[in-house]
Amino acid sequence: MKYVKHVMISIKRFNAMGKIGVAVVLMVLFLGIFSGWLSFHPYSIPSGGSLEAPGAVHWLGTDDLGIDLWAQICFGARISIIVGFGTAFLAGIGGSIIGIFSGYSGGLTDKIIMRITDMVIVLPDLPMMIVLGAFFGPSVRNIIIVLALFSWTVPARIVRSKVLSVKQENYVTAAISYGAGFWHLTLRHFLPNILPLVMVSVIRLTSRAIVAEAGLAFLGLGDPTSKSWGLILNHAINFRGIYFTDYWKWWVVSPITAIMLLVTAIAFISRDTERIINSKA
Amino acid sequence: MEHSIIKVENLSVCYHSDKIRTRAVNNVSFNLDRGNSFGIIGESGSGKTSMAMAMMGLLKKPATVDGQVYYGNKDLNSLSEKERNLYRWGKIAIVFQNSLDVLNPVLTVHEQILECILRHTVLAGQEADKKVVQLLELVGLDAGWNTYYPYQLSGGMRQRVLLAMALSCDPEVLIVDEPTTALDAVAKDEITRLLARLQREKKFALIVISHEMQIIARLANRVMVMYCGHIVEEGLTKDVLENPMHTYTRGLIHASPSINPYRDLWGIPGEADRNSLEGCPFYDRCNQKVSECKTKLPQLEYISIERRVACNRGGIATLLIGRGIHKSFAFKGKTVKACDNCDLEIRSGEVVVLIGESGSGKTTLAGILSGVLTVDEGEVVFEGEKVKGNSATCRKNGIQIVFQDPFTATNEHLTIAQVVREPLDILKIGTKDERFDKVRQALKDVQLPGDEEFISRKCHSLSGGQRQRVAIARSLVMEPKLLIADEISSMLDPSTQANVLRLLKGLQNSKGFAMLYITHDLALARKIADRVYVMYKGRIIEHGSVVDVFDSPKESYTNKLVNNSL
Repeated sequence: MKYVKHVMISIKRFNAMGKIGVAVVLMVLFLGIFSGWLSFHPYSIPSGGSLEAPGAVHWLGTDDLGIDLWAQICFGARISIIVGFGTAFLAGIGGSIIGIFSGYSGGLTDKIIMRITDMVIVLPDLPMMIVLGAFFGPSVRNIIIVLALFSWTVPARIVRSKVLSVKQENYVTAAISYGAGFWHLTLRHFLPNILPLVMVSVIRLTSRAIVAEAGLAFLGLGDPTSKSWGLILNHAINFRGIYFTDYWKWWVVSPITAIMLLVTAIAFISRDTERIINSKA
Repeated sequence: MEHSIIKVENLSVCYHSDKIRTRAVNNVSFNLDRGNSFGIIGESGSGKTSMAMAMMGLLKKPATVDGQVYYGNKDLNSLSEKERNLYRWGKIAIVFQNSLDVLNPVLTVHEQILECILRHTVLAGQEADKKVVQLLELVGLDAGWNTYYPYQLSGGMRQRVLLAMALSCDPEVLIVDEPTTALDAVAKDEITRLLARLQREKKFALIVISHEMQIIARLANRVMVMYCGHIVEEGLTKDVLENPMHTYTRGLIHASPSINPYRDLWGIPGEADRNSLEGCPFYDRCNQKVSECKTKLPQLEYISIERRVACNRGGIATLLIGRGIHKSFAFKGKTVKACDNCDLEIRSGEVVVLIGESGSGKTTLAGILSGVLTVDEGEVVFEGEKVKGNSATCRKNGIQIVFQDPFTATNEHLTIAQVVREPLDILKIGTKDERFDKVRQALKDVQLPGDEEFISRKCHSLSGGQRQRVAIARSLVMEPKLLIADEISSMLDPSTQANVLRLLKGLQNSKGFAMLYITHDLALARKIADRVYVMYKGRIIEHGSVVDVFDSPKESYTNKLVNNSL
């Protein structure tokens, strides 16, 4: 609860850009959560003629099967947010724990963990994701796990280096001299120090995961039933000769705009959070 | 045995008033050899004068005297009053504590002294008068003074008259009770020199009673320290003053500006009001008491040649010993010896200062002593147990270390209460309320407010001096026996430094913990130290009492250091 309050206070300290970012993200969240009420048409069954231009009935037009695009965007927001935040939290929490453990233990444990991180970093993630995505089978859960597997290194390395420097602080020496164990040090001394850093990296990971998910779906490796923004794009591009017609103006532009908006908004938040954290320290 | 002229055995004095029995002297025994000198020292009310009076047989009801006082082979206490009078004044004389009413105000100096001569010797008439003049000359008073009345004399002169009276019968034992109290420095010096000269010339045995260290130091070969009617320490004066083995003696010496002119004055905390027969008389004020001391009365026992101490712990206990400490760090293939065969000893309740330039390995040594750093070679023993890791720091009454930089010593994200409570939380000591009380007490000790508003503030809102005090408070909740303070004031401004140091020294004095203070500031070291260790390039090159090291350094480096910075 204390940390939630802390977050609320930092949001108040955002500048205009950050606030716009927060507003957009909240809007997308709203879209995702209330998609069923916000769109009058179903997102998976045709509700009008195929390839209708945007109008009063279908705000963003329809695709080749006559399915309402606005409904698809609204529903796709849910997938993007679940994938984005799910991956980021999974990778953030997992990476932090690995980082704290590695920095705290030091010695051989630290060396081994750091070499593993290096290995994960040098692996080209998109091809690996394609292989793993194909291997595990496409589902939202699998996508989150696969993305998290390639994202934990960023927070892990940041957290490890912070823990290493905090470990040098005299208050940690003092606490150890009183017999403090791993949990006490982590909760009392490491967490307050690493939380801001983890926050920034989690926010960054979110946008990265959203883009990665869209990319996978675009390549046809996403969950074919999930109707994410990437999948809309995938369908649109696979429509033969789309650029010779006017259809791309709504069919391609709307999912791309949605992705860009969300990612840019998250980037704004991330930049602003970083600014606030740095100015405080 | 044949040499001793006075032998006191189990002498006890007890005053009865109404229903209260006050034991002023408790089972005191000692020998005094012919022509020797002997000092008795103690705070006022420790029974010094009562003992002198008992030896003279001058105590009347309601006081009772037990035990034996032998003069040669005669037990004076078994003699009748008449027989006793022969010894009193004739053999054993006393110079009473100087005050106006010791002398008869209506008799002149001449008459006063004459009275003694007529009473106690066979001299009479002309010869007696001549003797008076001789005596006055002997004590350095001009014969012209003999027509004056006591109230017309100065304090120093009166002391000389008293001395002349005591010497009128050429006694073999002279008891001098507080010869110099209330005299100015010059008169004090004259009287002291006079007494020393007279003793040399007349070869009488001298018992000096005083609470002034320097008087005893100049007049007596041996000294006895008295507390609440008990003798707590006895030995050769020089040894006792240099190396007191009883906490009370040490307290007395620390309270004496003439022994150590540099240090701030600190008295022994508490009052001597203990009157129970059980346990150590110094129990309430002692800083190294153990539960045994409450019930067991310590006996005066030899702890080394010519030195006896009445302490259940065998004198001031050695708290921490560091033996042959080696520690080196490797940087880029180069090995730096931070500590090279360092030996160090800290006794309970003393302030040891470790001085040395930056980079001399002081902080490394402190880290090793507290167990924060591991040692390459050698060992650290705290209260008989080897220090391993945090074995000495993670318990109550152990070692605590306060670091140089107040900003890294406390986590700025935590509240003050969280910081101070941390050791209690980690070690799960007490209930929540108890911990809270302890935190408040510790904050009060370091003169920080303990109210709800203050203790829930975050540490980053405090100044450096405040944060250093919070760090000290954190150490104090563990009630350490040894506090290692590593340059704790070097990052503070002079005023805050003075405050923090006085605070720390005050806490040290009242709580009685030992302190290892690490600094490069010599002036500061001289102000607070009991003993000093000088460190240079990882080696301890010199150590000793603060006066020795600063006034007559043995090593050239120390010499340079002292000359450059003082």
